[in-house]
Parts: sequence; C-alpha cells; structure tokens
Amino acid sequence: MSVFAVTRLELRRLFVRPLAWVLAALTVAQLAGRFMLLVQIFATHQIAWAAQPAGPGYTDIVAVPMLSSILTSGILPMLPFGLAELALVVVPLLTMSTLAGERSHGTLPLWFAMGQSPFDMVMGKFLALLVWLALWLLLVLAMPLSLAHGMTLDWGKLAAAALGLLLMLAALCAIGIACSAYASHPAIAAAASLMLGLALVSLNVGALMAGVDNGFVNWLAMSTHLDSLIRGLVSSADVAWFLLVIAVALILATQRLGAERGRG
Amino acid sequence: MTAPTVVLQLDHTTRHRAGRPAVADLSLTLDAGQVLGLLGVNGAGKSTTLAMIAGALIPDGGAIRLNGRDFLEHPELARRAIGWLPERAPLWPELTVLEHLDAHGRLRGIHGAALAKARQRIVERLELGTLSRRLAGVLSQGQRQRLGLACALLHEPSLLVLDEPANALDPVQVAALRGVIREQAAAGTAVILSTHLLAEVTAACDRVAILHEGQLRYDGPITDDDHKMLEQTFFDIAMRGAQAA
Repeated sequence: MSVFAVTRLELRRLFVRPLAWVLAALTVAQLAGRFMLLVQIFATHQIAWAAQPAGPGYTDIVAVPMLSSILTSGILPMLPFGLAELALVVVPLLTMSTLAGERSHGTLPLWFAMGQSPFDMVMGKFLALLVWLALWLLLVLAMPLSLAHGMTLDWGKLAAAALGLLLMLAALCAIGIACSAYASHPAIAAAASLMLGLALVSLNVGALMAGVDNGFVNWLAMSTHLDSLIRGLVSSADVAWFLLVIAVALILATQRLGAERGRG
Repeated sequence: MTAPTVVLQLDHTTRHRAGRPAVADLSLTLDAGQVLGLLGVNGAGKSTTLAMIAGALIPDGGAIRLNGRDFLEHPELARRAIGWLPERAPLWPELTVLEHLDAHGRLRGIHGAALAKARQRIVERLELGTLSRRLAGVLSQGQRQRLGLACALLHEPSLLVLDEPANALDPVQVAALRGVIREQAAAGTAVILSTHLLAEVTAACDRVAILHEGQLRYDGPITDDDHKMLEQTFFDIAMRGAQAA
C-alpha cells in the first residue's frame, strides 16, 4: 500500500538525519536527570508517605511524573520538565520539515508526479513520525520500569498516563504536519506549531486563575483532557477529543496539499 | 500495418499562472516510440506543460489522456506510466543513490525481487555503480541529473518527460543522454523533452513542437534536410513574439 511505502521512506529519512538523534539524545539525557531526582525524592520520603493512608507511591512520585509535570508542579516545582512539556518543543522541530521541507527542496511536485495522493503523503508521514514518537515514549517509560521489579507499580494508572501521552504526541504531530503543509519554510512551520501547541495546552489557564469555570474553553484546552489521563482516568470523551484534533489537523493538511497541486 | 499506440493526448489544455495564460489551448498527441522535442524560448510555457503532463500540476481547462484514460480523473496513472525529470532533479539530500532508487520503486508499487532487478538494470545502464552508496546531497550537478533520470526510468514508464535534461551536463554526458533517449524510444517509450536549444532537438528528436507565449506555433516531424528551415521557423516565431511584445 502506498501509505506504508511513504511511511517506510519517511522513517528512513528520519533516522538518517541528525536532528532526530540529537533531539532524542538531549531529551533522554534531561529526562534521565529528572528520573534520578524523582527517585531520590521518593527514597527520602518513602517511609513518611507509606505511613499515610492514601500516601503517594512509586507510580505517583516517579513513574507518571516522568511523563508530565502536572502531578509534581505543586510539590516539586523546581524539577526539570517531563516528557509532555518537552514534547511541546520537540514535536514542532520534528514535524517542521515534513511538507515545508519538501516544498523548499523542490521535491513536493515529485510526489504528485509519482501518483501519490495528498492523503497517502500526509498519512504516511504522520505514521512515520508517530513511530519515532512512540519509540521516544517507550525509551522514557523504560526508566521507571527498570525499577518496577522492586516496587509496587500501579499498572493501570501508568497505562492511562502513557495512553494520554501517546495521544498528546499524536495530536501535536498532526498539528505540526498541518502547519508544515501551510508554511513556506520549515522554521515558520515550527514556530506556528509551537504556538498552537502552547495555546492548546494553556487555553484555560487564565480562566482557571480568575476562578471562571468556562465549560467550552475547558473542553477546548488540551490540558483538560490530558490531566484526566495522567491522573489515571480514561474517559472516552477525552480520547475522542484527541482523535478529533488529529483528524481535523490531518484533513487540513491533506486539503492544503491537494490545493497546492491545483495551484502550482 | 497497425496504427501506432497513442500514449499521450493533450486536448485544449490551458493553465494560468499569475493571472496570465502560461499554456493556452494546447492540443497535441504523442505515439509510443516517438521522441517529441518541445522547443521554446525561456518563459514559453514548456515547464508548465511538462509539469501538467507529469501530473505535478492540474490544468485549468482541457483534458489530458494517458494511454487512453483520463489522467485528471486518475492521477494515480502517473505511478507506473510516467517518468519525470524536472529541470533540477528533485532529490532527498540525506538518502544515498540506492536508497533513492528503492524509494522510487516502492512508491511506484515495485517490491522485492522485481525492485532488485529493476535497480540493478538501471544502475548498470546509467553507470551509477560507483556512486551507489553516496549521498545525493554530495553529488555533482551531472550526477544528480543521472540519478534523477535513473529514478524516472526505474519503473519502465510508457511516457518519459524530460525538462531541459541536458542542462549542466558535459558533452560526454549529453551524448550518453541521447543514447538513453534513443534506446527508450526504440523500446516503445514515448519521450517528450523540452529545451531552448534547437541543436538538442534535431539531435535527439524525431518531431518538434514549438511553443511561444503558451501557444503551440508549430508541430511537425524532423528530417535530416530541414534543419535550416526549422531554425528559421523557430527564429521567426520567437522574433515575431518579441516584436509584438
């Protein structure tokens, strides 16, 4: 199938470019530092927390906070970023060249001349990036899981948080591809994708700080849906929100490419 | 004697760019095994015409038929039927020569042993063996053109579209390119190539179409004794256009 031929080519291109490796190395190093600090904090307070009836465990203090700072922002504000916060920067950098790069290299018309439909191109590139992002997520999860044999892990909570992160990465990836489809240069695509991601995450922060509980703004904000999953609550409404964002972004990218073939 | 197979048919094809007709009401046909030279001064509409034929650009009006089927309704026909080499070979700088050939093959639906065989054939034919592991980003302009041509020929298309293919090639490479074009035509491939050099057309083509300001001004066969006449026709058309402007 043509989508998988595109995915295979894009994966190859992704893995031979230094950008993906540099991003992976830097972020995994930073997250390894975060992991060490979290383990240290957990070891220090383990006995005190164990004495509390509903005290936090290894999953709450180490495993899930590796994925996001949401749970630790109140009690551990000085810690470096979690995966979710890093993704806001990493995903735009990864996606910026997907279509804007083809445009600036002059290879975009070649795809059309090879009979590739805009859908095949967008979907193939999306799947390739998703594979990379899933591997990145697995690499980060491997750190807390390496101590799982000696700890009591809440597998359900961790799985929900991992699902939330995967959906967030997929949504940011789709937004990045859409920005890349509209932008003339990769840098513009990265900036637009970064701003959109930040806006989606922090959309309801102002309202919450002002004590206003606006249902629509809360629904629109990515943080609303991600928070629930990070806290271990899997709701089909939250999953549907992410799937909706992914679908809208990919449809926009497909339409833009189709229009480009018509416009020249 | 059987009638030649029509590979390409342009029917009143039109395309505007920046509000002006880049190609206006262009109609022509191309048979299997025929080599058509699309001649015109810079800005005559050659590249726009070839981009439409290759499927990279959609016409504003008219029709394009490829092997008897409506190409605009079935753009996927390009996958197996068309090989396109634009003026600057579009390559991915981070991939090697062999990776390019593999990617083009897979995107065109060729896999496994068939792909390996096609790749070996084209590497030998275009003498890419010594370059096979080199990254496209470090190739010279002539080597890039050769790789672009290899990608265009890998799937044995029925229509080969070459946009100013001899640009940046040295005389030896130009001679080799002409050899490849003749071989392809002998094997039944229809070839259309654009150039602004009359000598290029007379050396490689058996028919010429002269485009000027997006319109077809001349279409006829090339014989050995009418080069002078053709040269005069080309200059007349170009000069008339310049005076009118």
